[in-house]
Amino acid sequence: MNPVALARQALAYVMLLLVTFVICFPLLWALSTSFKLPQDVMASPPTLIPREVTIANYRNLITGKEQYFHGVGKGYVPSTAAPQHFTSWFTNSVVVSLGSTLISIVISTLAAYSITRFRYWGRRIIPYFSLLGYMIPSIILVFPMFLVMAEFRLTDSLWSLTFGYVSITLPFCMWLLWAFFRGIPIELEEAAMMDGASRLRVFVDIVLPSALPGIIAAAIFSLIVSWNDYLFARVFINSIEQLPLTVGVMHFFEGVHVDWGLMMASAVLMTLPMALLFMLMQKHLVAGFGAGAVKG
Amino acid sequence: MSIRLEHIHKSFGSVEVLKDISLEFPEREFITLVGPSGCGKTTLLRILAGLETASSGAIFHGEQKVSDLAPGKRDVAMVFQSYALYPHMDVFRNIAYGLKVRGTPKEETERRVREVARVLEIEHLLERKPKQLSGGQRQRVALGRAMVRKPWLFLMDEPLSNLDAKLRVTMRGELKRFHLRLETTTVYVTHDQLEAMTMSDKIAVMDKGEVQQYATPAEVYNRPANIFVAGFIGSPPMNFLSGAAISGGELNLDCGDAKRAAIAASPLAGNESREVVLGVRPQDIAVHMAAVPHTIAAEVSLVQLLGSEKLVDFNYGLREQVTAQVKADSLLEAGQKVWIGLDPAKLHVFDPASGRNLLLEN
Amino acid sequence: MFDSTDWKVADRRIGILFIIPFALAALVFMVYPVAEAVRLAFYEHNPLRPEASHFVGLENFRTIYDDPLFWKSFQQATIWTACSIVLQTVIGVALALLLHLPLRGISLFRGLLLFPYIVPTVVIALVLQWMLNAEIGVVNWSLKSAGLIDENIYWLATPNMAMISTIMLNVWKYTPFVTICVLARLQTIPLELYDAAKVDGAGTLRRFIDITLPQLAEVLTVVVIFRTIWTFNKFEEIYLLTKGGPGTSTFNLAIYSFEQSVASLKMGVGAATGVVMMFLLFTGSLIYMRVFKFAEEETA
Repeated sequence: MNPVALARQALAYVMLLLVTFVICFPLLWALSTSFKLPQDVMASPPTLIPREVTIANYRNLITGKEQYFHGVGKGYVPSTAAPQHFTSWFTNSVVVSLGSTLISIVISTLAAYSITRFRYWGRRIIPYFSLLGYMIPSIILVFPMFLVMAEFRLTDSLWSLTFGYVSITLPFCMWLLWAFFRGIPIELEEAAMMDGASRLRVFVDIVLPSALPGIIAAAIFSLIVSWNDYLFARVFINSIEQLPLTVGVMHFFEGVHVDWGLMMASAVLMTLPMALLFMLMQKHLVAGFGAGAVKG
Repeated sequence: MSIRLEHIHKSFGSVEVLKDISLEFPEREFITLVGPSGCGKTTLLRILAGLETASSGAIFHGEQKVSDLAPGKRDVAMVFQSYALYPHMDVFRNIAYGLKVRGTPKEETERRVREVARVLEIEHLLERKPKQLSGGQRQRVALGRAMVRKPWLFLMDEPLSNLDAKLRVTMRGELKRFHLRLETTTVYVTHDQLEAMTMSDKIAVMDKGEVQQYATPAEVYNRPANIFVAGFIGSPPMNFLSGAAISGGELNLDCGDAKRAAIAASPLAGNESREVVLGVRPQDIAVHMAAVPHTIAAEVSLVQLLGSEKLVDFNYGLREQVTAQVKADSLLEAGQKVWIGLDPAKLHVFDPASGRNLLLEN
Repeated sequence: MFDSTDWKVADRRIGILFIIPFALAALVFMVYPVAEAVRLAFYEHNPLRPEASHFVGLENFRTIYDDPLFWKSFQQATIWTACSIVLQTVIGVALALLLHLPLRGISLFRGLLLFPYIVPTVVIALVLQWMLNAEIGVVNWSLKSAGLIDENIYWLATPNMAMISTIMLNVWKYTPFVTICVLARLQTIPLELYDAAKVDGAGTLRRFIDITLPQLAEVLTVVVIFRTIWTFNKFEEIYLLTKGGPGTSTFNLAIYSFEQSVASLKMGVGAATGVVMMFLLFTGSLIYMRVFKFAEEETA
């Protein structure tokens, strides 16, 4: 290959690596910080690889014990919101994300099937209505929803978050699954009906398996949105044990000193499930977004 | 027990798709519904299946009225044009599905599926998924799914149209053999008149929502009920010559110059004079190199070799055209002047207004 | 046993049954909150004293009209959005061009693209706060080591830098969306167009301007409009980094609304801001639809 082309290729790779660096660096830095001792965290020059690796931050988050480090002046004052609630926050996030995803998926799957296979007034506008709903920013919805939750005395509980997240995940799930169900050929169901299956049986045996890729994409989207939300949790929840991770970790700022090592460890743990999901479901994510048009 | 359709009528909104269809399908026969796109044949099939409901009219299996029964309850099996194989199930489970839904015990299901697979020569494919199969293989699986249920009626919606030409010819024969072996009433939909002719015991030729003729293949070929049927059945299609008239016991054809040549004795009884449309198949035209009584002067315009035959287009009269089928060893060339004679025994005479075959009313 | 037309009725019932959960959920979680949001705009509502809530007509709108902070927020939102969009578009397109190259292993890089989207905004905000820490953050240290700056930059403590920091966060998180859309479109441009241009003597830049850009015009218009609508109303991306500060220098309408409802306890005013935001959103969407139809007709 001629040298000009070779140089060009090299340049391209360099730029790609640069982009990758920019994308990954924040998390890498957080990872690095989380394994450092506090003196190393503050040290200058900062190093990417910790001089001494410690899992103290993680241990403290998981066990919930306040942390004191030896050899750092006169003891180390921990954050006000000690890590004792971290595991609660984590469980809360898991419960609420899974719960709202389950509800949204069930509702939108049934609904998408209904509007694509049956005829009745309004079935055509429902997907566009959902799309409209999706475009409304949550800042507008959060306070009225808060009042609704207050009515049902659900505020300050995980239920309020679960239902709240249904309101932001349902519209897009509906839109995505509608697009997906439209693509399932109706002959499959007709063949099953000729084979003697009842409508319900057809739905379970034939339609659901065919719709699985779309359902997975919608579920992934829903999980990500619920896990990452800050606003709803901030408005709905007051007591510290009921918070999910997003609002919880912001409490680490309320200590006398900001414990960056601890904060970064919590950031890493908070991102881990999403990263795992991301890796496992690479192709579904892109396919799903392709089906429903990319919005942010 | 035969199948009876009584005054089936179907409209989609304001569009009338089927108009007053009444047919009877005798037991164990192979019936084809044939016609151009949009004639209503697929709709009629789906009504038989139960996937659509007729706007009015009834369907009987023997004495039992089935018009309101769910599709799965009519003991009918269907082969779809796109095969509609369940993509997430392997071939075995695809075929077994109908049995499974009916609660057939596992051993019996296994036995019957394997037997059907053996007959269709797809035993080696039982573990595969539909997307791993070729078109022909998928079609066999679709057949197997229908056959394994041993239904009382088979419905087939253009099952061969997705296959390539060569495979289609082979499968035609196979389907016919299956039919003879299974002895199950089969209603088959196609737009291909050749399939209809070669496979059926009876053909229902449809156009614009109506049955134009319902008869055996021989009947439909030799005694078409009207111009539509005559032009639809048979390949190459029948020639229709206008400017023909019957008068004085003779059949005259307008050859230009306001001359009318008598080309045959009138095939109709009676003495009246009338305008008619003359129909003659390409195979029933004789080419003469010299003027002979009852022939018309013509000029060769195009010769196409089919293989063992040639198709020759002629111009006669002012600008009329007629196509004849001759043996391949014929030496006709474009530009040649010849005389065409029509076989009087094979002439068809149609009423210009209604298109009815006048010979049938004799 | 099944009798006459029962199966069709039963069948239809299932269709209705399946849509009921959605209808209910939509009513409770979509229709009602929006209606309530609009209603609140015309009421004075203190969330701590709900029984004192009363109708005040257009007074809330008057309040925000007269409030200089509202207009400041609006202006800042516009600046923030404009900068973000420009950066996202330019970088996004450049990235897409880069990822379009037929290099080995490129699919690995493409796979990495959506990573910023799945990272919780809280996380990136936290990490950025750490990285941008004036004294011990890695960014200042790197810049000083490279000799680019002499003194620490107060990324989050000065109004201008805070704005820049939040823009950086926004760009980091959402540029991949632009890239994905553009990349998808790039992959449908027939290669023969470039071959023909090469034969005609066009250089790389010419080819980009005359062939690539026109093909991208449509998707870019759509993407830009969509991103604008979304970016204008973002809450977390700014709030979690700066809380709208320092002071109110990174306020946008969403944060303004939030502060009214939560800090000032004037939910009515917050809702009125929300109504204004919805109005802007609606107008933006209309423009989008017009342009989209226009673009569709162009290619039809």
